[in-house]
Amino acid sequence: MKAYVGIDIGSISTKGVVIDQFGNIIKESYIWTEGNPIKAVKKLINNLKEIPKDIEIKGIGTTGSGRKLIGLMLGANTIKNEITAHAVGTLHFYKDVRTILEIGGQDSKIILLENGIIKDYAMNTLCAAGTGAFLTSQAKRLEVPIEEFGDIALKSNNPVKIASRCTVFAESDLIHKAGVGYNTKDIIAGLCKSIVLNYLNNVGKGKKIKGPIVFQGGVSKNKGVVHYFEEILNEKIIVDKNSHLMGAIGVALLSKERETDKVYTLDIENISFETRGVECNGCSNHCDLVKIYKNNKHIDTFGNKCEVGGK
Amino acid sequence: MYKIVIPQMGDYSTPAKYLISHIIDCEIISIPITNKTLELGSSNSPLFVCTPFKYTLGSFIEGLEKGADVLIQFGGGCRYGYYFELQKQILEDLGYKFEMINLITKGEFDYKRIKKEIERLGLKLNKLKTLYYIFLSIKMVKYMDKIDFYIREHIGFEKENGSFIKLKKQMLKDFSTTKNYFHLKYMYLKYKRKFKKIELDNSKRKYKVGIIGELYTLMEPFANYNLEYELAKMGISVKRYTNVNYLLFEKKYKIKDYLSKTKDYIKYKMGADASDNIARCKYLCKHNYDGIIHMKSSFCTPEIGAMPIINKICKKYDVPVLYFSFDTETSEVGVKTRLEAFFDMIEMRRTK
Amino acid sequence: MNKIKIGIPRALYYYEYGILYKKFFEKLNFDVVVSPKTNIDIFNKGNLLAVDEMCLPMKIFLGHVNYLKDKCDYIIIPRIDNYGISNQTCTNFLSLYDICNNLFDINILNYNIDYSNNVDEIDGFLKMANKFNIDSFKALSTYEKVKEEVEKENKKNIILNRKKLKDKNTKILILSHSYNLYDDLIGKPIIKFLEKENIKVIFPNVAEEEILLDEAKKISKDLYWKTSKKLVGALSYLTNKVDGVIFLTSFPCALDSLAFELAMRKTKLPYLNLVVDNLNGFAGIETRLESFVDILRREIYV
Repeated sequence: MKAYVGIDIGSISTKGVVIDQFGNIIKESYIWTEGNPIKAVKKLINNLKEIPKDIEIKGIGTTGSGRKLIGLMLGANTIKNEITAHAVGTLHFYKDVRTILEIGGQDSKIILLENGIIKDYAMNTLCAAGTGAFLTSQAKRLEVPIEEFGDIALKSNNPVKIASRCTVFAESDLIHKAGVGYNTKDIIAGLCKSIVLNYLNNVGKGKKIKGPIVFQGGVSKNKGVVHYFEEILNEKIIVDKNSHLMGAIGVALLSKERETDKVYTLDIENISFETRGVECNGCSNHCDLVKIYKNNKHIDTFGNKCEVGGK
Repeated sequence: MYKIVIPQMGDYSTPAKYLISHIIDCEIISIPITNKTLELGSSNSPLFVCTPFKYTLGSFIEGLEKGADVLIQFGGGCRYGYYFELQKQILEDLGYKFEMINLITKGEFDYKRIKKEIERLGLKLNKLKTLYYIFLSIKMVKYMDKIDFYIREHIGFEKENGSFIKLKKQMLKDFSTTKNYFHLKYMYLKYKRKFKKIELDNSKRKYKVGIIGELYTLMEPFANYNLEYELAKMGISVKRYTNVNYLLFEKKYKIKDYLSKTKDYIKYKMGADASDNIARCKYLCKHNYDGIIHMKSSFCTPEIGAMPIINKICKKYDVPVLYFSFDTETSEVGVKTRLEAFFDMIEMRRTK
Repeated sequence: MNKIKIGIPRALYYYEYGILYKKFFEKLNFDVVVSPKTNIDIFNKGNLLAVDEMCLPMKIFLGHVNYLKDKCDYIIIPRIDNYGISNQTCTNFLSLYDICNNLFDINILNYNIDYSNNVDEIDGFLKMANKFNIDSFKALSTYEKVKEEVEKENKKNIILNRKKLKDKNTKILILSHSYNLYDDLIGKPIIKFLEKENIKVIFPNVAEEEILLDEAKKISKDLYWKTSKKLVGALSYLTNKVDGVIFLTSFPCALDSLAFELAMRKTKLPYLNLVVDNLNGFAGIETRLESFVDILRREIYV
């Protein structure tokens, strides 16, 4: 049986799937990146390896912010940015989707589609205010587990208004609101709402959001945020149970399109893979280079702006 | 002998150095922009000033650390014109001793004022000689800009990687040895021929994209994460109108024409290059460009004002537009991801 | 026949020209509608129309235009290019007309000023009147009458403002563009708070415009934005007459980013740098104001 692997390496979590040729998930895994994508992927691959013996892996795709590094490490046949990967993955399950909302750890994006083609997209420009990182840091401050945020938010009838464009502003305002004695549930609801407002004001500005709308990324698991999206957009929001895997599925599907005779292996445990950061003094650019070594052999360099640093 | 710092903006440091070193007796300290420049600049700048302020301030600090004693700021319109006084104050507050000269004040180059400033330093300025070298440097800028148009359109399709950049480096090196006008012109024609001779693989040629936006971000590759080169590597030919030659000489004449061509959108000259960019946006849309990239430094007010109108034009012609607002905090990975997705979007639109 | 209705957005240059517009058109027998004081609803609607990176006063302005859009026949959108080469304006005022024209489907009554090209205030008013076929003579005499009244009012305000300087209480100069200072959501809550704390709040209009512009040179030789120059001028003018200064900026003001930075580096007065970003949170501002007032008082009484 043929199968394809897709891996989405994000700043906070790393997601992986093995799919068959029809796009059905055979195996999936979801772990924290913990600042070390190489280690995380090794662990992830170990989880994904538990598949029937007769499966032949005919393609590997990588996406997410660590896509290049991990793509190189695994010898992937497809390395794609997460916008395209998410669109392809989502389209596989929802053929007529018009809008994809995505809020992840550091990035948030909006993708508009028409007849299965990306028509327009945008990503956050200013800062982390409209992203999951902001919610996580506020959860810590309030000493409430982030997983419970959604349920708590739904209990509030009176979300607190939060001065919200910039994380720094929002945070200082939040401390005051908490100090003045607002209810925790109203503050949490206010945070969820501010994520939505920020998103629509920054990423979604000027975009015609039409249904069907699919919402994904880590924050889509937060029912409070989903609720405020529905309230403000006045449209039903679809959150797929596999929404966090869409990028990985998308890039696996893309790797299928580029299938050749080659068969891939997932035995990477014993490969030593290492990155070293150096400043290039080859020319006046002083690029910060990341040199990549596989089994102690230099195989590639990232970050060089000219031909000098590549060596 | 005075040690002088001129902040870098793209390759224009070549003519700038050529000019200054020929009209006054001095040594010029080169400060290539690096991450350190940006760090020094932004940690000493007001929070929401536009980024060219931070870049140039960083260059000055680095220069002063290397023993510079005269700093030259270009000045100009919009907020650029006011950089000088505040930067001087900031550097003095940091405890540096130096002299500083602002080239363009109140929108013009005032020879008498500059002469006075230079004489104050105990140096001499010969009018004829100065005018002659200004003329030569202007010509040099013109030739560089002409060649750059060709490079941007074709660099993505070179058969041998790096051949354009290599030749351009050689050209700049030769230009800085200019002896007289005929020598310069001869070199220009020589290099023009050489550039045209670079072998191209036109099968790689896929799409064309126009780049518009705020001038410094457009012209300094460090400030835009080498975006033009990244596009070229994807097989995109790039059109960009803003260059020094345009700003110094063509803008004055073209603005009327631009306004008349965009009558259906704008009536007045908007701030800085906003109207110019709106007109170019319309032109690019009408001429079937596959996409438009608008970039600026964060907080660039005039370009922010142009954005709703650019949006409207692009919607009408159904041309995708990508906005970049570069801050000192922008991550390079994020820029590349957005560019790749932009490319995918263009490809999907064209092939399906 | 019904009277023509003219709308005036209560934002940006309203605080420089608004009353003049209002009186002018009322004298010429028009109906005038001024949008209400800024409220959260107006701001939110403006915010949705604006580009995210636009400054707070711009977003508020768009909200006011949005409010007026189906309540009148014409809306006055000023476009101020410059007041001469050394008295420029923020580029937002250059593009205001075209931004609104593209964002809204409205009839704009155009008020364009460009001193470098010899279009001054009088021309601006005459052109507005001409649009309704009012002859220039009548318009001119109306303008002059109205202008005199407004000038008188301005002088009175300056005197009132200066009177406060003689007060024994702690005096704080609050420096901000008029569209921040007098806006009901940006400046007013701050002024109210300070007054409740028994502070004498001194506004930047402490002397006639020419005096302030001249006074500004003591702090900055190069500044070429008129409103910034006036503020810096007021700071210099009051150096020994107030106890502290509040620099009130709306995020991310292009002019203040430079002019205030210079002023803060040069002034010897204790100062507070307040940046207002969004209109929902006053709590953070309150803490900053409170501690600033405490510090000033301690300095005075110790």
